[in-house]
Amino acid sequence: MTTQNRSVIIIGGGPAGLAAAAALRQQGVEDILILEREHDLGGILRQCIHDGFGLTRFKEALSGPEYAARFVDTVQQAGIEVMTDITVTELHADRTVVATARSGRYVFKAQAVILAMGCRERTRGAIQIPGSRPAGVYTAGIAQAYMNLKNIMIGRSAVILGSGDIGLIMARRLTLEGASVKGVFEIQPYPSGLPRNITQCLDDYDIPLFLSHTVTAIHGTKRLTGVTVSQVDSSFRPIPDTEKEWTCDTLILSVGLIPENELSKMAGVLLDPRTKGPRVDEHYQTSVAGIFAAGNVLHVHDLVDFVSLEAERLAESVGDYLKQAPADEEAVPVEADPELAYTVPQLVRADRDLTVSCRVRRPLNRVRISIWQNDQKHVTRRFRRAIPAEMIHLTVPKEKLVPGEPLKVVVEHE
Amino acid sequence: MNKTLTCVICPNGCQLTVDYEGVTIQSVEGALCSKGNQYAEQEILDPKRNIASSVRVTGGKAPLVSVRLTGPIPKKKIFDVMAEIRALSVAAPVEIGQVLIADVSGLGQDVIATKRIDRI
Amino acid sequence: MMNKQTALQKRYDVLIIGSGVVGSALARELSRYQLNVAVLEKELDVCTETSGRNSGVIHAGFNNKPGSLMAKFCVEGCLGYGVVADEIDIPFSRTGKLVVGFDDEDRKKLQALKEAGEQNGVPGLEIVESDVIRDKAPAILGEMALYSPMTGITNPFLYTVALAENAVQNGVSLWLNHEVTAIEQVDDGYQVQTTQGVFESRWVINCAGLFADRVARMVGIDDYTIYPCRGEYLVLDKELGSQLPLPAYPVPNIREGGLGIHLTPTTDGNILVGPSTDYIDEHTDYGTTRSILDLLMREGRKIFPPLNPSAVIRTFAGVRPKLVSRTTGGYADFVIEHRPETRHFINMVGLESPGLTAAVPIARNVISIIGEYEDLRENPSFNPCREGILSFKDQTPERQESLIHENPDYGVVVCRCEGITQAEILAAIRNPLGVTTLSGIKNRSRAMMGRCQGGYCQIRIAELIMAEQNRSEESVMLARKGSRTFVGKVRPS
Ligand SMILES: Cc1cc2nc3c(=O)[nH]c(=O)nc-3n(C[C@H](O)[C@H](O)[C@H](O)COP(=O)(O)OP(=O)(O)OC[C@H]3O[C@@H](n4cnc5c(N)ncnc54)[C@H](O)[C@@H]3O)c2cc1C
Ligand SMILES: Cc1cc2nc3c(=O)[nH]c(=O)nc-3n(C[C@H](O)[C@H](O)[C@H](O)COP(=O)(O)OP(=O)(O)OC[C@H]3O[C@@H](n4cnc5c(N)ncnc54)[C@H](O)[C@@H]3O)c2cc1C
Ligand code: SF4
Repeated sequence: MTTQNRSVIIIGGGPAGLAAAAALRQQGVEDILILEREHDLGGILRQCIHDGFGLTRFKEALSGPEYAARFVDTVQQAGIEVMTDITVTELHADRTVVATARSGRYVFKAQAVILAMGCRERTRGAIQIPGSRPAGVYTAGIAQAYMNLKNIMIGRSAVILGSGDIGLIMARRLTLEGASVKGVFEIQPYPSGLPRNITQCLDDYDIPLFLSHTVTAIHGTKRLTGVTVSQVDSSFRPIPDTEKEWTCDTLILSVGLIPENELSKMAGVLLDPRTKGPRVDEHYQTSVAGIFAAGNVLHVHDLVDFVSLEAERLAESVGDYLKQAPADEEAVPVEADPELAYTVPQLVRADRDLTVSCRVRRPLNRVRISIWQNDQKHVTRRFRRAIPAEMIHLTVPKEKLVPGEPLKVVVEHE
Repeated sequence: MNKTLTCVICPNGCQLTVDYEGVTIQSVEGALCSKGNQYAEQEILDPKRNIASSVRVTGGKAPLVSVRLTGPIPKKKIFDVMAEIRALSVAAPVEIGQVLIADVSGLGQDVIATKRIDRI
Repeated sequence: MMNKQTALQKRYDVLIIGSGVVGSALARELSRYQLNVAVLEKELDVCTETSGRNSGVIHAGFNNKPGSLMAKFCVEGCLGYGVVADEIDIPFSRTGKLVVGFDDEDRKKLQALKEAGEQNGVPGLEIVESDVIRDKAPAILGEMALYSPMTGITNPFLYTVALAENAVQNGVSLWLNHEVTAIEQVDDGYQVQTTQGVFESRWVINCAGLFADRVARMVGIDDYTIYPCRGEYLVLDKELGSQLPLPAYPVPNIREGGLGIHLTPTTDGNILVGPSTDYIDEHTDYGTTRSILDLLMREGRKIFPPLNPSAVIRTFAGVRPKLVSRTTGGYADFVIEHRPETRHFINMVGLESPGLTAAVPIARNVISIIGEYEDLRENPSFNPCREGILSFKDQTPERQESLIHENPDYGVVVCRCEGITQAEILAAIRNPLGVTTLSGIKNRSRAMMGRCQGGYCQIRIAELIMAEQNRSEESVMLARKGSRTFVGKVRPS
């Protein structure tokens, strides 16, 4: 087996990988290879047939496949090398990439590796729903793939657990295909999906949303026959005597996404327990030199437009990295306010323009979010309402930043 | 009369407060852009939505092609349009943007393909 | 009453009812002789009930009462397991086992276990102190422990499948989806009515597990009642696997009728926590419950502190076919009997733990009973060896390369969590028993068992099953009869 040398290897041909490749080529990087395990490029967007993509990026309401096609076309027109139907099975800290395909086993060695593998869904086991194990329990993303890619109908009457966007979108999709959706149950006291999806996926079709509720048992030995739903208290414990039985043949779980990190871990990349993805600096470089990450593999995004933008910022840094090993400004931490679930990046070197992405932990009304360094306030954004479903972005130009001084992201109530 | 709406035009999802009397809109508050005002008006007078679905493909590399409408249609017509979409079958190849049903249900919008499906 | 309209399907020398581990081991042992043997199984796969829902521990035999069948067959089964595992190519590892104690009371109980074990003929038992525990498994808590070097772990599903496959390769007929509903004694044996026709046989062996009391009643033996007693488990991510090189048990509370909530590594590197012991009403109610799952977490932490909720990738339950009720408590011995009034009907009930370990000796015992009445002649073409599905990810890079060249399906990774290739999935779909359920494919290939639980690969596997067998969406089953996975097409053609 011979090892092939490459400047940049991109693992994953979804929106993050495609945008990174296109931007790198624009900077004049020649030797780029995208490795994608599916037959087609486009990642998860291939199955997101609803519209609402690209409003930020293209000022148009596109469907997922159309949004993806724009990037696929760019990559193809630029003549960037792509291998599909190839799965990366190993990644090592020295940037050796091992992959298998029908044509054989491949070993590559890259100057820079870009992680763009996307995310996976949390499952029933991960949230430990008790009860029997009949057929008819699906995660929302799998249900979406069956229906939109494979022409397979998964059920006729459904209950949805979790109010994540994909679950909401599947509620509408199932309804349009003639299934009856009994309700969406969310354990938190607020929905986890975007308000527009509550309106256009649930309200439009009179599908009820029950907050502070969860599925406490699953019934049926063959096909699902129903679920028990209970109200929960403020610490998410089911409240006795609030159980209600719902008859359904399908349970859709929309209970969260987790970055795909098998390969990241294999390479020894340090993970952030909050995002469950790699810890990065503002160059999107992980703890392992020359390994970068963007998109859902880094932290879960709800809007693909921000994935593309993130990947383009990453590409800028990767381009610089290829030209010269980075001047080693020491990386210092970005401290997140307790009201924030996390920040990306988690570290800064203060040697390029900075974009901080973050999410609030719970819905907040009338807040200011600012970035501070010492007693210097670099930027502030005001929000009438900030919700966990929406990622927040704050930018600071390089000139304002002081190397070696930690940053603070602060939330203030007005 | 007062009504609160969530603007569905973009991910900002602004909370809009509409003050209206019958079919006359007095004021719309809370929109971050002018599209929100238009949306609120439309929503009170005649709510409209765009929909996405799939159409059966014969002889293609995939069994379905994803589709959407070129623009929003009255909410109450959604299931009429779905019936037309469901009845349709197209032969591969299909191109992105290809019109599969023109002027669907006479509503002035087309059903277009949003994916390319090559022939087997 | 027999329905005489139903066409008589087949006549056999020996009919086995039930293809759990005991029925499958018996089928394989019988295929060593010149006998016409068939197995009737009500489910769509072997190993659907208790045999696929346990800790997978090959017990050494110190937990059982000296002089009992349980003790005798457990010790024999444990000592002989390595040979069988080699022959039929299944995972087995003699990890040893620790039963940990914390105080003087525990020490006494451990000493008693050791003495019982020695009486049963269990080799190598030792009381060890905390330094030895730390040495063997640093993450395990305990002041002292009984260490048993002979105890091992296996994959109970693959074991049962391999036994059944080897039996079928040696000429046994397996009739899946054939539930026995009535048995009638006839001149030279029995007529056995099933949901798909009537069978005749000179011998009938009851290996029906949780339903063995009902099958016994079909021939008029009505003095047994099985009390189903459920045990729930947590399955942990492989990440914690390396911290538990061998099973760790607490000192058992004999009255409870279980071995206590313990931690067991699986042969694939996951960890099982459980089982609980709760008498239930429904024999196959494999549901799990919130309160028990919480209990498992609490109890498990007492001996294995790294246990935490985020490591749980799924939960499951098994049901013990107990002959003692909740009020009696404890264990009853295995029942293996041949009564004069039901000649040629060998009745087995109450085959609870250590039934997995003891299956082969139990089978040999049944054959010795048959041998008292029949002239058993060896089957000259019996082949004890069966080959499992080759695991691509365990091969060297060079071998992987050549495998892909021989068969490009090895280059297609279908299950990314477990690294299972399309070639392995197809081998599982083309299994010798003709099983096509998603769970059957999963258990044979390990696809869908990783941390994403089929998130990525279930779709592809369902597609492969449909393509290989030319099946419709509606006919893809998850596990049991009627467990329809899909309801049809979104856009029917
Ligand atoms: C189900 C779902 C619905 C969504 N709906 C919306 C929406 O309505 N609107 C919106 O704006 N955004 C939506 N999003 C968010 C947005 O689409 C995603 O954030 C975006 O697609 C993420 O892009 P990505 O490139 O990081 O990951 P992905 O699109 O997941 O791409 C990752 C790619 O990597 C490949 N890959 C993974 N591992 C390997 C490997 N080992 N070897 C080779 N290839 C590999 C995968 O096959 C995949 O093609 C949705 C996201 C999900 C998950
Ligand atoms: C929680 C738990 C943990 C355990 N841990 C261990 C352990 O670590 N080590 C160990 O050695 N043992 C263990 N055991 C015990 C072991 O699992 C059982 O003793 C063993 O699996 C019993 O096998 P079987 O073949 O008798 O029963 P089963 O596996 O139940 O097989 C009986 C078969 O008969 C079929 N059947 C029933 N009725 C009919 C009918 N009318 N017609 C046709 N087919 C029928 C059933 O479908 C089934 O397939 C454990 C058991 C439990 C419950
Ligand atoms: S009002 Fe404008 S900014 Fe607000 S949601 Fe509607 S379109 Fe978006």
